[in-house]
Amino acid sequence: MNEEQHSGSHSETIHLPAPTAWPIIMAFGVMLAFAGMVTNFGISLLGIVLALSGAIGWFRQVLPHEAHEDIPVVVENIIITTTRPEVARIIVPEDDRAHLPVETYPVLSGIKGGIAGGIAMIPPAILYGLIAQHSIWYPVNLLGGAGVANWRNPSTADIAAFHWQGVLVAIVIHAITCLLVGLLYGAMLPMLPRRPILLGGILAPVLWTGLLHSTMGVVNPELDQHIAWGWFLISQVTFGLVAGWVVAHQSRIRTAQSLPFIMRMGIETPGLVRERESATENEDESR
Amino acid sequence: MADSTFPNPAVPIAGGAHGALDVTPPDVRKHSVLEILHSWITTVDHKKLGILYMLYGIFFLLVAGAEAIAIRIQLAVPNNHFLSPQVYNRFFTMHGTTMVFLVGMTMIFGFANYLVPLMIGARDMAFPRLNAFSFWVTAFGGLLLYYSFLGGSGLYGVGNAPDVGWFAYAPLTARAFSPGHATDYWAIALIVSGFGTVGTAINVVATALCMRCKGMTLMRMPLFVWLFVVVSGLTLVTITPLTAAQIMLLVDRYLGGHFFDTQAGGSAVAWMHFFWIFGHPEVYVLVLPAFAIANEVIPVFSRKAIFGYAAMVAASVGIAFVSLGVWAHHMFTVGMTSASNAFFTLSTMLVGIPTGIKIFNWLATMWGGRIRFATPMLFLTAFVFQFLLSGLTGIMLAVAPWNWQLHNSYFVIAHFHYVLVGAIVTAIFGGIYYWFPKATGRMLNERLGKWHFWLFTIGFHITFDVMHIPGLLGMPRSIYTYEADRGWGTLNMIVSIGGVIQGIAVLIFAYNMIVSLRSGEKAGNDPWDAWTLEWATSSPPPDYNFATDPVVSSRRPLWDLKHPEDPDWKYEA
Repeated sequence: MNEEQHSGSHSETIHLPAPTAWPIIMAFGVMLAFAGMVTNFGISLLGIVLALSGAIGWFRQVLPHEAHEDIPVVVENIIITTTRPEVARIIVPEDDRAHLPVETYPVLSGIKGGIAGGIAMIPPAILYGLIAQHSIWYPVNLLGGAGVANWRNPSTADIAAFHWQGVLVAIVIHAITCLLVGLLYGAMLPMLPRRPILLGGILAPVLWTGLLHSTMGVVNPELDQHIAWGWFLISQVTFGLVAGWVVAHQSRIRTAQSLPFIMRMGIETPGLVRERESATENEDESR
Repeated sequence: MADSTFPNPAVPIAGGAHGALDVTPPDVRKHSVLEILHSWITTVDHKKLGILYMLYGIFFLLVAGAEAIAIRIQLAVPNNHFLSPQVYNRFFTMHGTTMVFLVGMTMIFGFANYLVPLMIGARDMAFPRLNAFSFWVTAFGGLLLYYSFLGGSGLYGVGNAPDVGWFAYAPLTARAFSPGHATDYWAIALIVSGFGTVGTAINVVATALCMRCKGMTLMRMPLFVWLFVVVSGLTLVTITPLTAAQIMLLVDRYLGGHFFDTQAGGSAVAWMHFFWIFGHPEVYVLVLPAFAIANEVIPVFSRKAIFGYAAMVAASVGIAFVSLGVWAHHMFTVGMTSASNAFFTLSTMLVGIPTGIKIFNWLATMWGGRIRFATPMLFLTAFVFQFLLSGLTGIMLAVAPWNWQLHNSYFVIAHFHYVLVGAIVTAIFGGIYYWFPKATGRMLNERLGKWHFWLFTIGFHITFDVMHIPGLLGMPRSIYTYEADRGWGTLNMIVSIGGVIQGIAVLIFAYNMIVSLRSGEKAGNDPWDAWTLEWATSSPPPDYNFATDPVVSSRRPLWDLKHPEDPDWKYEA
């Protein structure tokens, strides 16, 4: 595929591979060679002969020199046009980057929010236990019942009684869940720049309470019968409001979202930003 | 109007692309039919071979479509005997095999052949003669498969086509259960066409890696080309186990082997592993080109550069890797260990991450753009929506306990037709509307195109949305007929009506192609105001594509030429 310039104002020729029938002959031969397996050995034999002929013809096309054909060319300058001459770039203010925040909360803020929210949701849960079942252990055992050995279909009195395994498991589940959700708040609240407390403190707890309410009957019908969903919602909203408030009042740190991908990967790219900026400046000056 | 001259090699455009747009003197000499036939049979030109692939795929699309219509007529009402059980089995086997191997594979390689060299500024594929061989051996493989209708029991017996399903599970394929040669034709035809598939895959990878024009670094390569490199790599990995399994099957059937004979110490499950190690990545081999088409069409019709180019490349490579580790989600009901079930559930769900990245990036590309809903964009918009839905049912089926309930039901049929028709065929239609002007110099009729789109999309949803329900109600796949009291009758009638509507839409498409080819509006070189190199040459392109090698400095070289005041290269890190 070399080009060969000829004398003359606008003409040249281009070498392209010459058309050849050998590939189709070889392909046909290969097909027949296999088809003979289910028809007749003679067909396989014919196929092998054709395939070999095709291969030899093919080799002769490229060895010792590749067969070419010369295609004449007349080069003309062609106008490349567009019907949309004006470029309208979409301007996105930095503070509108709701989904890829340029600033976020440090990890510690999420942990703080999780701890604060976890502590704040204990009083409404205990209040519910005292009012509804006259026992502070009722909500504790609902959460940590899995840790009570040999519990099968416990009665309401069983759940309202003190079980040290239940308390232990409830504390572990409560602490881990609150920390994880607190971390989630730390990561998500910068993505909710408007009314973070409303969205993270009220809307999110309502949504996950609704999700749990609709699925608990399938996942664990017995547990579902013992949960008072109104009180559950109150404790969740309490967590959300407190954790959201704590997280939202931490100081933010700048993320690397505005940096080129290669820099975010930690690859040393000295001058990358400077080169891009200087190229833009040069363009502006030329205007 | 912004104008640029293309090329003016003496005056390089800063950061833009310059090369050559060529006009060959028109060949006014009349060619005889034999001359024309000879030129097509002996061609090694990637464009002609691409068109041959496409025509071959469209022909078999009509054949497989006719088989599907026959299947749907059979299932439209209970206790129907429109087809005999034997013919019904042959039709669904041939329909599946044809759509995957003779329509999907050939059409995607048609796109690759025609467009990859043009998009990277090359004159041809890396190995033009291998390219011709690959097409013809693929084509002959397909013809051999259909010859089984005549010679399935041998030249002197009564013909019958393969009837073992497109996945040909053992032990059904053993000689005891599949006498005659129908199953042999299935295995041999796919081995033969597999040679062509491997040849084309090697060619695409070599072309994309070795023949890019000056300035086209890998990270400036059009996403379309990136996707085909990934597809070709995946093809090379996955065709191997299929071919190995088919050879083992032939050894079992002809030489007394026992690879898949459980009574003689073989394993029928081994066939399933071999087949699905090929079969599931094959879904991605087919769907990644649909992504490739979306990556070109959506930005042009949204008038915005693709969102997240680097993420799209990474997601494509990620999909290919993950797809190699999900095959056994087709085998949850085999009785694997809990650990295996958990692994394949999780690995399958993992695919949702890179595919999710792609969907978000397409939406972000459309977001805020000036979208033109021409026919290509209509198809690609439907593709995004339908692919998302197919992915969601895929996630459902990835959950082992859910899969146990619905395995081999019409829910699964609906799911994978959502992928194959709702995503792949839909995107291919969009791609044909988009590049037909480049290949022929004529626009496809827009009015007929919109009729095609709306009828096809409405028919698709009537068929495949509703098809999930009989699956949930327990209707098994591959069933010949059913009793009237099962409650599936009305649903199946609706599904069949949708199938007929799709059939009408495809006939409109075929009519549109013929009419537009003869008397369609002249397209010009760049009818869509696009940005990649194929639009920088004439329509149809000359034999040599570009008289002088193009030089590019960004991912959108034509944008740079059209907008020298605001070229892309300034913004690409």
